[in-house]
Amino acid sequence: MTNDATPAVELRAATRTYGTGERAVTALDRVDARFEPGTFTAVMGPSGSGKSTLLHCGAGLDRLSGGEAIIDGVPVRGLSERALTRLRRSRVGFVFQAFNLVPALTAAQNVALPLRLAGRRPQRGEVTGVLAEVGLAGREGHRPSELSGGQQQRVAIARALVSRPAVLFADEPTGALDAASGAAVLRLLRSAVDRHRQTIVMVTHDPIAAAIADRVLFLADGRVVDELPGTVGAEHIALHTARLEGATAVTR
Amino acid sequence: MSAAWAMVRHRFASFAGTFVAVFLGVAVVAGSATLYLSSQPQAPARYDRAPVLVTPPDADTGDTRDQQAWTSEEASALATRLGGVPGVTAAVPDPWFYVQRLEAGRATGDDQAALIDGHAWSSAALGGYRLTAGRAPRTPGEVVIGTPNPVPGTASPEVTSDSKSTPANSKSTAGATGATGTIGTSGTASTVGGTANTASTEGTVGTARTVEVLTSAGPETWRVTGTVDGPGFYVADGEAAKRASGVRVIGLTVTGDVQPAVDAARAEVGPSGVVRSGAERDALEPGSVTRIRWIGAQLLIALVSLGAFATVFVVSSTCALSAAQRRRELGLLRAVGATPGQVRRMMYAETTLVALLAGLLGAPAGMATAPLLADAMVEIGLEPAGFTVTWQPAALIGSVLLGLFVALAGVTAAARRASRIPPLDALREAAVDPRAMTTARWIVGPLCAIAGGALLAGMPALPLEMRSSAGMGAAMFLLCSAALLSPVLIVPLVRAVAGPWRDTATGMLVREGTLTGVRRVASTAAPVLATVGLTVLLAGTVATIEVAAGIDETAKYPAADVLVPDGTPGLSAAAVAAQGAEPALTTRVLITHGDTTAGSYATGRGDGLVLDRFTADELGSRAGDVVTVRFADGARAQLPVKAVDDEASLPPDLVRKHDPDALTSMIVLKDTAIPAPGARAVPIHDFVMEEIDEEGRLVDLFLLALIGLTAGYTAIAVGNTLLMATTARRGEFQALRLAGAGSGQMLRVVAGEALLAVSVGAILGGLVAIVSLLGVRAAVEDEIGRDIDLVIPWGATAAVTALCAALALASAAFPVIKAARSRS
Repeated sequence: MTNDATPAVELRAATRTYGTGERAVTALDRVDARFEPGTFTAVMGPSGSGKSTLLHCGAGLDRLSGGEAIIDGVPVRGLSERALTRLRRSRVGFVFQAFNLVPALTAAQNVALPLRLAGRRPQRGEVTGVLAEVGLAGREGHRPSELSGGQQQRVAIARALVSRPAVLFADEPTGALDAASGAAVLRLLRSAVDRHRQTIVMVTHDPIAAAIADRVLFLADGRVVDELPGTVGAEHIALHTARLEGATAVTR
Repeated sequence: MSAAWAMVRHRFASFAGTFVAVFLGVAVVAGSATLYLSSQPQAPARYDRAPVLVTPPDADTGDTRDQQAWTSEEASALATRLGGVPGVTAAVPDPWFYVQRLEAGRATGDDQAALIDGHAWSSAALGGYRLTAGRAPRTPGEVVIGTPNPVPGTASPEVTSDSKSTPANSKSTAGATGATGTIGTSGTASTVGGTANTASTEGTVGTARTVEVLTSAGPETWRVTGTVDGPGFYVADGEAAKRASGVRVIGLTVTGDVQPAVDAARAEVGPSGVVRSGAERDALEPGSVTRIRWIGAQLLIALVSLGAFATVFVVSSTCALSAAQRRRELGLLRAVGATPGQVRRMMYAETTLVALLAGLLGAPAGMATAPLLADAMVEIGLEPAGFTVTWQPAALIGSVLLGLFVALAGVTAAARRASRIPPLDALREAAVDPRAMTTARWIVGPLCAIAGGALLAGMPALPLEMRSSAGMGAAMFLLCSAALLSPVLIVPLVRAVAGPWRDTATGMLVREGTLTGVRRVASTAAPVLATVGLTVLLAGTVATIEVAAGIDETAKYPAADVLVPDGTPGLSAAAVAAQGAEPALTTRVLITHGDTTAGSYATGRGDGLVLDRFTADELGSRAGDVVTVRFADGARAQLPVKAVDDEASLPPDLVRKHDPDALTSMIVLKDTAIPAPGARAVPIHDFVMEEIDEEGRLVDLFLLALIGLTAGYTAIAVGNTLLMATTARRGEFQALRLAGAGSGQMLRVVAGEALLAVSVGAILGGLVAIVSLLGVRAAVEDEIGRDIDLVIPWGATAAVTALCAALALASAAFPVIKAARSRS
């Protein structure tokens, strides 16, 4: 892994405040973070620590109040809504907790949606290929309501991967799933990193989920407070989390 | 985009409002347009065999009532010249005059059509009419009568349509032909009866009999010398020339190609007439028919514009609501890479699909309904007798396109708002009611209120004739303002209305549900507000003005009886003479002063030419000026203007001489009326009220159609809003159910909310309308200088409100009941 390669996403002194005056809340406070290509990063932290904001700003869904977010070498600041949408469309994939499939569309149509929105006709086999990769061969014509939660999340992952984005953001991807389905989804994410050098940034509460990542970032009060390699294991991560939550609880 | 089709297919429920609104809108427009386009001017059937018609030069006054005439000498001379034109086989002047059949002393048939029912025998050739029995009329008092004769209650069949195509005509021709075989027997049989009554009802006419008719002179008994296979009364040519006021048409029959004959005739006529062929002949449609079609057209135009407007209104409110409900889905599309433009285009694409689908179904539905309405329209007097609906491809295409355009106009605002939804909204549970009051509402709402208030306040300063329009304008502004500001007004109103029930669980839920869902309540209340407001205002204004008009009109006359026409277009000379009164003949003349020509009605009275002020102004003439007067019979005279007064008049002998067909419109009686055919005596007040009622009948019909259409659209808007809102609140209801609410309680809550929203709308709309009505009344009182009662149309208001309430209940309860069913 070369250090001078362009990071998939980079945050420099990223600050995000909501509201003004007395009621202003600082969700991100001068955060610096680099997400190198082909790495799997888990972001953890107690509720309100700013991990969702970090994900939204890093993905170009939300704009920073200060500092810079650079997606695949392109600074987000100064981009029009349209240009930002295009950047997101071509370089960023999303997986949400609540699956977020368009209920009107079939699995295949949902997967093809980003390509179609980019004005590109999916190539023959492209969509079925991605669906097969997530283990849903033969389910192309099913609508979300005809799929289980785990299957829906796998469609969402296929949709996120189909445009080969520079980075895939996952927001609690296993949060709404039972343990078995969750584990399958995590294996899928891991293999995307291993096989396709896909960059993944995953926000999670779950130490087991975090343990599958290459590294784990800990956020508290809008700052990166710690970093561990994923290989330390779920138990260690859980312990660390508990310690951090205790600490913030005390400081409050 | 194919995604749009998938969306439409999947979420048809949220497009149902748009679909229904566009479907109905397109159906109304297609039906009305079909009726409108089918109702085209048509040359009378009695010119069917005359492909070329020559008329005197246009009067050029810009008023279709002004028509020049040739004197009968001029007409004969021109006809003789035209008869010599190559290709022309005959040139026949068509003088016409007023004849109406009397049955048992009562005039029958359509009074306006009767004005042109008398003809010269030679003109029968223009329609290709032939004797079916007997012989032509030769001397005064002889007549050939047409079949069918006017039947009571319908217009003269003369104006129905061409005899080539309508079954009615071919049937009557057959009847008349059949009659020839029975002349002998039926003729003798009915001579005993002494009248032609039996003949007309049986459709058989004998030759050796008489017929009772009413003309401008009075009742006459004519000897029937024969029958003809077309409508009308045909007398000897010389007799017709005497009775008619000039000649307005010369018909040409031709051999070979029409066009060379037309060109030759044009060269021959020069500036002394207009040669018409082909579609130009249709300009000769009788004025009475034109007027009927005009009234019908007004209603149809009103329906089309209201239908289009209401569709925009409903589509925009439906789309706004559905976009608000789809916030998450639209945010998701944005998150996976849809640009704002793509979201907007998708909404346009969805609406286009729905509107096209609705239009392609609605247009044929409307067009299929149109022929069913034709008879009713004829009966009500909105289309001439014999009106038939024809296939109008322009109505089909036009209405579908209009539906599409109107739907896209309606979705614009929603699409723009939707495209600004941030992608992050996909990640939020969008349970928050978006702000109900937008900046635009805050700006436009008060502006409308100020404009409306200013109009009401400034009304006394406005010229009299502008005041009622100002009142209506003020009301429109105030209604718009109330609708825009309704989210603010709703809160205190709901507290007040729901106050008495605040201690019950249902009451609390209803009140709080309404207060937190202000936007939903506002979009339910707004259409109710508009409809109730419009109903109170329109119906109230009409009723108030009708009352006022009665007071105003009757105040002008002494408490006496008047002799007025009884089923006739005017009083005959005999009817007037019987009362020992002087006739007050009304004629229309063309007056030229310098380069200006104006048409004017003039009454036969006094001993000189008196101009009314309006005409005098138009002509720029004063007492003492000499003007050229062209009479109804085509004769001209140089007359000095004796005076300028309220009403125009001419010496009676001049009117009688130059307009032998003129009638007296009414006379004020000094003694008890002597009965005369075609005349009746009534107290002035009753007569005025009859006239007003007659007008009122049409106005009421218009009101009914317009309010009906508005109410229909309100129903769609209210129903759709509540259906969508209640469906979207499933989660909330689920929570209520878990908290222990039974199905009955749930139903009571949604029903209560729906009724509350309707009441709020009705109260606001009613208040605004009553305020405006008070303004209108003040203006009218000022106008006639008397106090009048404010008439509030409680019946119509109650009906409209009840309709809204019923629909609101049904559409709010439906999803709840459906949910309860699926559970059990």
